[in-house]
Amino acid sequence: MTDEKTINLQINGRFFQAREGMTILDVARREGIPIPTLCYHEALESVGACRLCLVEITHADWGGWKGLVASCLYEVEDGLQVTTDNEEITSVRRTMADLLLARCPDSPVIQRLAAEYGVSATSFKKNDIETKCILCGLCVRVCAVKGCNAIGSAGRGIEKMICEPFEQPPPDCIGCASCAHICPTGAIEYEDTGDVRKIWGHSFKMAMCPSCGRPVMPEKQLEFEANKADLDPDYLRTCPACSQHKTVESIRTAFDMKDVLAGNTVWDTGLKPVLHR
Amino acid sequence: MEKILTITPSRCTACRTCELACSFKHATNGRPGIPRIRSFMYGEGKNQIITCFQCDEAACVKVCPVEALTRNESTGAIEVNEDRCIGCGLCSIACPFGHMSHDLASSIAVKCDLCQGEPACAAFCPTRTLEYK
Repeated sequence: MTDEKTINLQINGRFFQAREGMTILDVARREGIPIPTLCYHEALESVGACRLCLVEITHADWGGWKGLVASCLYEVEDGLQVTTDNEEITSVRRTMADLLLARCPDSPVIQRLAAEYGVSATSFKKNDIETKCILCGLCVRVCAVKGCNAIGSAGRGIEKMICEPFEQPPPDCIGCASCAHICPTGAIEYEDTGDVRKIWGHSFKMAMCPSCGRPVMPEKQLEFEANKADLDPDYLRTCPACSQHKTVESIRTAFDMKDVLAGNTVWDTGLKPVLHR
Repeated sequence: MEKILTITPSRCTACRTCELACSFKHATNGRPGIPRIRSFMYGEGKNQIITCFQCDEAACVKVCPVEALTRNESTGAIEVNEDRCIGCGLCSIACPFGHMSHDLASSIAVKCDLCQGEPACAAFCPTRTLEYK
């Protein structure tokens, strides 16, 4: 904490202080200044894929030079002057929305985003392949954070896609479905049917709650998580509802006993003490 | 010394005011939140209230892959950083007491945060079942 530098910058004409290493987006989020994003997540490394968070920057020493940068990646510096919204930025964001709509014309999330910028139909050539994936890479990054690295991107240019290695069921996948949960457009699908979860070409056997028999998570994930966190696998095997029920029951039993032993009850329960000492 | 939220089940009438207070305290965008505290009715003198124990060595903190659960040193509560949470649901499965739940729409984890040191449940409890002292 000794050599932590405070940085003074301006966003939309207002002065703010920030710590060294923060990005423009970090400061804007902290101050409640809206900047649209699709591929940003605080817990994951930023990659600047969606280009929606573009902001205009300039500096008193730059001789009037202005530039558009991705605010999720650009680190703050002293004297930076940031504009988060003007006509030029809106027009760039509109183009981005237009391009995304050309890629995923059927995605409701992208349709809503485009509508916000006044784009109802794309002005570019529509994508021939039906997809909801916008290649933001959130799924790949979340998989890396989970410690699996099961999926990645393949191909370049218009052929780029998110897929399993060699398009085979990935051996490192544990079936946690974090990729599906984090996907902003719902492009990754999985199916839970009884005791089987189908995702990325795998059919994972689900671990069942020993008390109620409902599926909790795939057996492979259970083993992985228990190892990673150094926990008793039984902690993970019991479903939340059954854990709660167990807690209530155990407290109730302990409380009854204590109450009976102490010989007092605040409310008259109308029940006879079971134990006599 | 830091305060703790105490529960005296023998005083509880299972009126569920605590759940309501919690729900309103954690309301977002005019929408009531999921209560972080639950009451169970078993008859007079036997009602139960359970909420997060704020464990010293918490299983939820251990399993979180993105460090979205952190302890607030001033209140001692484990809090969810909603921007960091990836909604994987592991914390609620890992909790051996079943105290965590999830927002059904966003699957973001929700848990008792002791209302930053002013628990609404304790403030509204009519029978002093819940006390923050």
